[in-house]
Amino acid sequence: MEKNFSEPQRQSAAGIVILAMNSIQQIIRAVALPFVVFIVKADRQVLIYLSIAAGVLIVLALVYAYLNYLKFTFFLNQQKQEFVINKGVFNKTSLTIPLEKIQQVNINQSLLQKIIGVYTLQIDTPGGDKKEVSITAISEQVAYDLKAHLLNGKKAELAEDHQSELADQTIQTPFLKLSAGTLLKVGLTSNYGSSLALLTGFVYALFYNAKELLGTFDTDRGQVESAIKTGLSFFSVGILIAIALFILLTINIIRTFVKYFDFEITKHQRSMAISSGLLAKKNTLLSAKKVQITTYSQNFFQRKFNLLNLSLKQAHSGKEEDEKDLKKANLEVPGCSLQERDELLKMILGNLPEETATFKPNYRFLNLPIFFKVVLPLMIFLICWVNFPKVQPYYPLAIAYGLIAILMICISYRRHRLMVNQDIIIKKSGIWDISFEHLFPHKIQAITTFQYPWHKSVDVGHVNLHTAAGTIRFKYGNYTEIKQLVNYCLYQIESGSEEWM
Amino acid sequence: MQDFTNEVIEIDQLPKYEEVTLTSPHPKYWNVMVINICVIFLISGLALAAFLILNKLIKPYLYPILIAYLSLWVVTFILYYLSFKKRGFTLREKDVIYKKGIISESTTVIPLNRIQHVALDEGLFSRFYGLATLQVYTASGISGHIFIAGIPIEKAKIIKEALIKRLNLLETEAAAQ
Repeated sequence: MEKNFSEPQRQSAAGIVILAMNSIQQIIRAVALPFVVFIVKADRQVLIYLSIAAGVLIVLALVYAYLNYLKFTFFLNQQKQEFVINKGVFNKTSLTIPLEKIQQVNINQSLLQKIIGVYTLQIDTPGGDKKEVSITAISEQVAYDLKAHLLNGKKAELAEDHQSELADQTIQTPFLKLSAGTLLKVGLTSNYGSSLALLTGFVYALFYNAKELLGTFDTDRGQVESAIKTGLSFFSVGILIAIALFILLTINIIRTFVKYFDFEITKHQRSMAISSGLLAKKNTLLSAKKVQITTYSQNFFQRKFNLLNLSLKQAHSGKEEDEKDLKKANLEVPGCSLQERDELLKMILGNLPEETATFKPNYRFLNLPIFFKVVLPLMIFLICWVNFPKVQPYYPLAIAYGLIAILMICISYRRHRLMVNQDIIIKKSGIWDISFEHLFPHKIQAITTFQYPWHKSVDVGHVNLHTAAGTIRFKYGNYTEIKQLVNYCLYQIESGSEEWM
Repeated sequence: MQDFTNEVIEIDQLPKYEEVTLTSPHPKYWNVMVINICVIFLISGLALAAFLILNKLIKPYLYPILIAYLSLWVVTFILYYLSFKKRGFTLREKDVIYKKGIISESTTVIPLNRIQHVALDEGLFSRFYGLATLQVYTASGISGHIFIAGIPIEKAKIIKEALIKRLNLLETEAAAQ
């Protein structure tokens, strides 16, 4: 029997328990800390009061859950093709989701839900918070019926997509292939940061474990430290640094090989397939239309090797802290030549970006970083210098730090550029790795401009271009120019009918 | 091919988002803000009081803490009043504009064809004054959403309907192409 969901309806009555549990959980989370303090200090009588209070809380939670259950209704508006949820005991919320915007519908069941026999239905829209658009307690039948209804509008389109993709699967020669030599170069020149972190972690674990091991035999009288000390005097520090660098590079190369071995890009009619991996082969199908931001970057060494790093960012769920999700949405081409980059850019962007108008930041860009990263640390050092004679010999380090930091900030200022032409926006930035982010105006979701009151008279302001794959920021620009740019972008988004995905 | 034109775009002639007159939130919304601030401060005040009573060591610092608490309250009021004065929104033919800010002044523009969904939220105290918050969501995550508070409920409903209608219209247009 199929329902049509056109009438507003409630969740399963059994779901009240789930709702109550949810609110109890929330309460516990909110009061856990003061509660623990109380329990530690409390005597028996207080404990009795506490358990009474807990009982009252449970009853209140049940009542609240019941009210919640009464107020939570959902229905499908067939005519307008939208799904509507009304909810809230104190705060009334009515949520409307056009059916076309629904990306995915998930049906989940927790342990408690399993006992009661209800399911959670989550509606996934790009950019939306999953928790907000979820129905916590409905029966299996209703859940699957509803899912079918919600995705009904999408079905035809999806099937079509799938078919064209199947047709695409004809074997083609790889369009880009990374040789072992290229991978070696990639390993030598990029991703130092993450390998360094890995190495530090490893060395620390080694040191710690060695101490632990000796400690269990009760023989640790500083051997590890003294061994390191004799090692230090044995080698000169220079040789030690050379060894560390060597290990770092080896790790980097091994990581690159494991991740990107046999890296291949095959071109299909409407999409491209990327496969790589030494131990586990990873295959990804990507359609150029879904790429939101295309970035390529290059550092000093990579330039010497004629190598570039390219990354394609797709829409993610909107929670920027969700790293796993971000990684899944981003695709990396670790090393390609200039020609290959141009080929890839042509494939994704349609044509190569031409000469552009460049926006430069005002020199005020330098103020805050110099204050927080140079002046403030040096001031702290100065205070220490005055108070503790021990740190005084280290003043050359402080001077070196100050100079390097100023140099880096100046470089980042020189590199901070926004380049705009008829149909593309390019943001250049970076200190060591210089990156170019390419964005089509029609992929912009929203634009924010802002200005501090003390910058009003000098006409300096900032702009954030929000996209489904992250935000592109341009700081300390000429505010009049920025406003013009925003008006132009809005004109392009609003006059065109190009879809962003 | 007859209706195809390709004229030069004069950037200065484009509609200017920064020159649109904005609608301020309903004056009654200030009352809602006052109530909200007071509720939060009273609750945190209770927590603070409990903390002060339980902790005997803090007693000598009672007055400084009290003064800090009260001045924080006053500063919050002033900041929120300033932010209330700065808020404004408007609905253009093709986008929604919302301006806000406590110290810096930020303006967010969401083109109507980039809206994901729209929600209407009536807070407990807002409902008392017949006001609502219009929430406009885009695909760009938290940074790209706008929450416009303090719109009279009837007006908010009309705007929401208009936005959704516009959304559906755009979609059918896109589907037809």
